Amino acid sequence: MSYIEVEGLRKTFTVRKKREKGKLFREKEIVEALKGISFTVEKGELVGYIGPNGAGKSTTVKILSGILTPESGKALVGGRVPWKDRKDYVKHIGVVFGQRSQLWWDVPIIDSFSLLKDIYKIPEKDYKTRLSELTEALQLENLMRTPLRLLSLGQKMRAELCGSLLHRPELLFLDEPTIGLDAVSKLALRDFLKWENKEHGTTIMLTTHDMEDIAALCSRVMVLGHGQKLFDGHLNDLLEKFDTVRTVSVKYDTSTPTLNLPDGVKADQKDGEIHITYSPSELPTANMLSILQNAGNIREMTLESENIDHLIAAMYKEMDL
Amino acid sequence: MRAYFSVFRMRLKMELQYRGAMIGGIICQMFFGIVLVALYHALYESKAQAMPIEQVSTYVWLQQAFFRMMVATDPDLNDKIKNGSISYDMGRPVNLYWFYYIRVAAQKLMGSLMRGIPMMIVAFLLPKGWGMSLPTSVSGLCSGLVALFLGLLCMCALENITMAFTMRTLDPRGMQSLLNLLMVTLSGNLLPLTLFPDSWQKVITMLPYAQLLDAPIRLYSGEYPVSDMPVVLLRQAGWAAVLILLGIWMWESNRKKMIIQGG
Repeated sequence: MSYIEVEGLRKTFTVRKKREKGKLFREKEIVEALKGISFTVEKGELVGYIGPNGAGKSTTVKILSGILTPESGKALVGGRVPWKDRKDYVKHIGVVFGQRSQLWWDVPIIDSFSLLKDIYKIPEKDYKTRLSELTEALQLENLMRTPLRLLSLGQKMRAELCGSLLHRPELLFLDEPTIGLDAVSKLALRDFLKWENKEHGTTIMLTTHDMEDIAALCSRVMVLGHGQKLFDGHLNDLLEKFDTVRTVSVKYDTSTPTLNLPDGVKADQKDGEIHITYSPSELPTANMLSILQNAGNIREMTLESENIDHLIAAMYKEMDL
Repeated sequence: MRAYFSVFRMRLKMELQYRGAMIGGIICQMFFGIVLVALYHALYESKAQAMPIEQVSTYVWLQQAFFRMMVATDPDLNDKIKNGSISYDMGRPVNLYWFYYIRVAAQKLMGSLMRGIPMMIVAFLLPKGWGMSLPTSVSGLCSGLVALFLGLLCMCALENITMAFTMRTLDPRGMQSLLNLLMVTLSGNLLPLTLFPDSWQKVITMLPYAQLLDAPIRLYSGEYPVSDMPVVLLRQAGWAAVLILLGIWMWESNRKKMIIQGG
């Protein structure tokens, strides 16, 4: 049996619209946030969960963390149903909502942590080891006596993560943990998550819009759109389907020569540099290079694959999201 | 249990930080107290009421001293409901109702003690008829304290009921101002309940709002004789139980329907 088993999960929300002129009552609209999602996750996996805004990612996380009750469908996490016997279930999981805060605004973060210690009934000794381990990994040592309100966004997120992991959850949900963070904080956060996953075997489910997060962390990725699962597998397999074009930029020693390019290959000139987009399946890269070399003395050249965000955008478009 | 105790202690500590608000609160409540007492002096000069002026001014000062216990909302909790951070608390192995109830209790207790104690000291020093009088008996003082505790239980339960409405409307202001209006009027803060016509008092003193501060004050000042004490305390405890059960029921039905909006 897998650690997380989800089958046919459905959730609908009723949205009341603004009352139209001449009508007595407001109209209601039923929005299907999840239209029967099924998947399994093994213990110790690090799974990325992506999809455009409103795809149902957060709804899934909220259901699996015991906050929402689904209309129908089954879910078992470590043999427990999240929305039944909530109090017992939530002891085993940790959640970080990137856009919300669990720590107390006006008090030093150490006090918030010690409250969490009492909430999760963490034994004193275990709390101390875990806290020093986490503060070291997250570089929080110097911030423990600072009230939350004085922390920067990156520091806050690190503190939030520490708070969510104090009770050693088996499963950690991260809902957009890198939102708004600078490059250094993002990298540090990713390193930490990898460490936590490896060191403690914590199963991690991560929703994000930052594809770099997925590329750096997750071997497996699930794509959600319109409340349905569209893809489940390795990130590379997903990208391969859409990663069909390459861009080559060349700079010549002398003035830019005219290139003898086949039909359908587009070239742009900018600041003496030529950018050519082509698809290797139609025009092999070797042929491309010989065309370029025959045209003159190349001083500089770079070959790039499409930016991962563009790929995802193309994918969402193709999947009609 | 540790979790609830811990959140209580933490909220007490947090309240201690707001010393500026405390000073502001004391000044505001002192002002209200003096104006109200002056008003009753003017009233009594033209036509004395059945209740002696000393008792009226004691009533006014005690109401002002514990005002913070009655009308105090935890802005953090309302924010949590509004911005969805309540989802974190829903994901904790605690009972949400009691977890918030305890937080509110700590805030009300610490907030009102910080303001009430200095204010009462000042009120004792004011001249007779303008300030506070000593309790008529030791049993009056003791039963008043017990009644104050029961009143606090009622106030926190009322606060949680207001919060239950906030969970539905997402904005605390409408329901809060309506309920606060009822509270300041029917609890005797605006006009001592003892000055209402006798026939009104029969009804008003039975209502939940009279259990908050009116009952403890009347026990303190001896308006309620010692022989009435068991009935008064029982009535308070009964209302506390009813309000708490109502709140739990509202929270439970809210929890089932609750949607945390947004990503």
